[in-house]
Amino acid sequence: MTSRRTRLLAGVVAAVAAIVALLMTGLGRDPSVFASPLVGRAAPNFTLPQLDGPPVTLAKLRGQVVVINFWASWCTECQVEQAALDQTWQQFQDSGVVVLGVDFQDAIGAARSYVRTDGLTYPVVEDAGSKTALAYGLRGVPETFVVNRYGRIVKHVIGPVGATALASEINSMLGTRAQ
Amino acid sequence: MNAAGTLRGARASLPGLLVVAALAAGLATLAIVAVSGHPPPSQAQRVQQIAAGLHCPICKDLSVADSPAPLAQQMRQEIAQEIRAGESAAQIRAGFVAAYGDSVLMSPPRQGVTAAVYYLPVLVLAAGLITAFLLLRRWLRPPQPDPLGAGPPPLSASQRRAVARAVAQLGEEEPE
Amino acid sequence: MSQLGTYLLLFGLAVSGYGLVAAAVGAKTGRPALVESARRCAFGLFATMAAACATMLAALLTNDFAIRYVADNSARETPTFFKALSLWAADDGSLLLWNLILAGYIAAVALRFRRDRPPMFPYALSVLFGVQVFYLVLINGPARPFASLANPPADGRGPAPLLQNHPLMAVHPPFLYLGFIGFTVPFAFGVAALLAGQGSDQWVSVIRRWTLVVWCFLTVGLVLGALWSYSVLGWGGYWAWDPVENVALLPWLMSTAFLHSVMLQERRGMARLWNIALVIGAFALMTFGTFLTRGNVLSSVHAFAQTSVGPAYLAFLALVLLAGFGLVAWRLPELRAPANLTSAISREGAFVANNVLLLAATAIILLGTIFPLVVEALSGQQVTVGGPYFRSSVAPVFLLILLLAGTAPLLPWRATNRSRALRRLRVPAAAAAAVMIAAAWAGVHQVAAVAGFGLATLVFVTSGQEILSGLAIGRRGTRGGAVRALARGRRRHAGLVVHMGLALVAAGIIASSSLAQQAQVTLTTGQSTVFAGQKLRYQGLHAQREPQRIVFTTTVAVMNPGGGAAGTLDPRMNLYPAATAPIGSPSIRRGIVWDLYASVISLQDNGGSATFRFYHNPGVNWLWFGGLVMALGGAAAAWPARRRRGPGDDHGTSALRRRTAVEVGAR
Repeated sequence: MTSRRTRLLAGVVAAVAAIVALLMTGLGRDPSVFASPLVGRAAPNFTLPQLDGPPVTLAKLRGQVVVINFWASWCTECQVEQAALDQTWQQFQDSGVVVLGVDFQDAIGAARSYVRTDGLTYPVVEDAGSKTALAYGLRGVPETFVVNRYGRIVKHVIGPVGATALASEINSMLGTRAQ
Repeated sequence: MNAAGTLRGARASLPGLLVVAALAAGLATLAIVAVSGHPPPSQAQRVQQIAAGLHCPICKDLSVADSPAPLAQQMRQEIAQEIRAGESAAQIRAGFVAAYGDSVLMSPPRQGVTAAVYYLPVLVLAAGLITAFLLLRRWLRPPQPDPLGAGPPPLSASQRRAVARAVAQLGEEEPE
Repeated sequence: MSQLGTYLLLFGLAVSGYGLVAAAVGAKTGRPALVESARRCAFGLFATMAAACATMLAALLTNDFAIRYVADNSARETPTFFKALSLWAADDGSLLLWNLILAGYIAAVALRFRRDRPPMFPYALSVLFGVQVFYLVLINGPARPFASLANPPADGRGPAPLLQNHPLMAVHPPFLYLGFIGFTVPFAFGVAALLAGQGSDQWVSVIRRWTLVVWCFLTVGLVLGALWSYSVLGWGGYWAWDPVENVALLPWLMSTAFLHSVMLQERRGMARLWNIALVIGAFALMTFGTFLTRGNVLSSVHAFAQTSVGPAYLAFLALVLLAGFGLVAWRLPELRAPANLTSAISREGAFVANNVLLLAATAIILLGTIFPLVVEALSGQQVTVGGPYFRSSVAPVFLLILLLAGTAPLLPWRATNRSRALRRLRVPAAAAAAVMIAAAWAGVHQVAAVAGFGLATLVFVTSGQEILSGLAIGRRGTRGGAVRALARGRRRHAGLVVHMGLALVAAGIIASSSLAQQAQVTLTTGQSTVFAGQKLRYQGLHAQREPQRIVFTTTVAVMNPGGGAAGTLDPRMNLYPAATAPIGSPSIRRGIVWDLYASVISLQDNGGSATFRFYHNPGVNWLWFGGLVMALGGAAAAWPARRRRGPGDDHGTSALRRRTAVEVGAR
């Protein structure tokens, strides 16, 4: 009966190997990271009021590169990327690029004072009711979407975004070399 | 057959009749409940139903219906607005899937690779039942006669009595 | 203190390493002195682990922030009670508790077998030490709780807010760990039996009793976890089908299957190999559960976020599977005993059905839990398998299990006398039908719920009837009456009590899943709303500053329909500095039939208005009570019988059978 034993043992080894292989794939990935289905698709349109100013409609920005950054005044991680976003705005605002901040689940007073103290220069709109956030599949803040001139989302960043990464992405879309 | 015998026969089958009657009553009740349906859901209940099928994106395991998180609240409001606007449940779900991906559904989509999960329970039960059937059949087969012809030595009368006593005592502890 | 702890853990590793080798070598070369020295090491190991835990506790209580674990999980203003609880709040610390409990079990085994031992005891001891070696390597390697910080901070981060909100945090992990880790003992004896080549029935009674005790702990641990989820998390439910919750349930299901099929082996000598496989499977599932919880593989509310230990757990799991099932495959030809069965409608057939159903439930839950992983590995698609899937796929199996539990106790061994069995089924069947009709009349409109109530009644009445008739028979036959009768049929009666507990749990689950109501409403101060037949009025907000948090307490007055005041609910929102969002604490008015549950989810205008979620939850208290009954019944079944002096005595075989064998053999 030794051959039967060997076959059984081989079966056990094969099964265990398959299980281990499967579980190893699980080890390689971060379970809290979700792939966004929006990359490559048309950016959902919205019309939102600015904190102080007329409403902004995304569709009207067609022809320009738009960097949509979801943030909130209570979000500590958002402060990390603040300088990067300001820098991007300063660098590219005359090249057909718009940096747009979208305030998420925030009190308008807190948002205004944040803008004042941090010296935000780019336009900021408020998403009361989070309709736009839901349309963009937002799971938290900060999240940044880069929309190209034809209204397609080309990049989705979860977490604070870096200045160089943004700059290189924008440059490749504008067809200019990094400066 | 005399009257006493008929009575005995009837009484013997009475428990069986009772059990069958109870079973029939139970099944009939279930049938009535199944057929009678329930009142059409209110708006709030419809929101609940759809929200229960969506996974709150920032919670680890709660549905949008159960989660107290602000994002889940806003999703519920969104669902309510969309119901008022006349969208169907499928359309509302599709809208969320477009933004969040398939993982926002509480159960995998029924098309494609993921449909396999819905066949799993049936396959598992079937496998179990087949295994049990094969096992019971093997156990039910009468044991092979001893090829050497010599089995265990027969019991003496006193041994048989001892066994009978012991079995009787065992039988008292539980139904025999 | 960091040094002391580290050295204690290293010493523990050395001791368990010695025990592993000494027991194995002693068994192989037939040197009992070596085995005895390994046995004694178990006590030293336990003392060392206790000292290490005490060191960590001291570090927590004295705010020794030089230790990274203390800095990450405790703070100066944390209340002392929760500082002590931080010992097992996070990954590394809970690993300390794990090692302590495992060492405790090994010491208990060493103590229990200080005199008479089954022949495979040395191998079992070796396997136990081997498992301890793995966990000690982890705690001395990738997951060191006593790692120190070069620049200790002035104050620690404090425990995760959710973990310091409620005292139930004190008891849920220890009971759960006592349940999980305990499966190591039956596993060790099972592997030892396979190694020693002894397929005999000697190991069965040892393993059965240990598994039963572990099962009791695990039952309590799971019920406490559900109770914590219900009372603390504020979402109105008690089981979210979270991956970690699911994998905790799997060893429980498998060990329940074992506790039933082991009776096949005890009574009829059948299913020997199957029982060993179940015991190994329970331990493997537990190890898999540990891997899933601590290896950061699936997203879960319980997940500890350590990535470096994942590969270690996976390797250990692979080893356990290979060794365990490899040995089963190796011994397969020898352990197959021919069995014969007179009729499938018998206790034996019922136990087969029991195992099929419980293992089907295990497989469905296991496969559903890892399905997202499989799909992502194969196609990159990310999906969720959540509560609705598990509920709808497990419910039919659960109902079938109830049906079996309600009828199987009426089936005798070998063959059934049909009219006798039907006669005993009269009252339970009638009661079940009556309950179903009543439920339908009362307006329950889910078919599964009506069926479930009927089946739960069937189980309850069958078990009760069998206990009563057992008492009656016993009273007639023995001197001493009912109590002696209870004691003689103790295992059977205790098992029936567990079934009654199961019926209560089932009724609770069905009632709370199908009849619960909820509503979300925003009230301004003084405004009231009607919910589930009671008037609820928001009375106001009260804020209180505590050292580690700010607590906002809202008061809701509850009034009966007649107008009389019924009481108040005071759900809270707790603001912890470490958390970005407030943690809610629900307020529950518990009742025998239903709970009124309130949770405040947001405040507006400084408490001028508040958004509440109210829940009407019928049957949840039957769940907690039923769980307690199940655990007590299990404990009663595990209680050691009064020991009789006799040859080859205390391996648990019925005194009667032994006497019979002796009597018959002597003639």
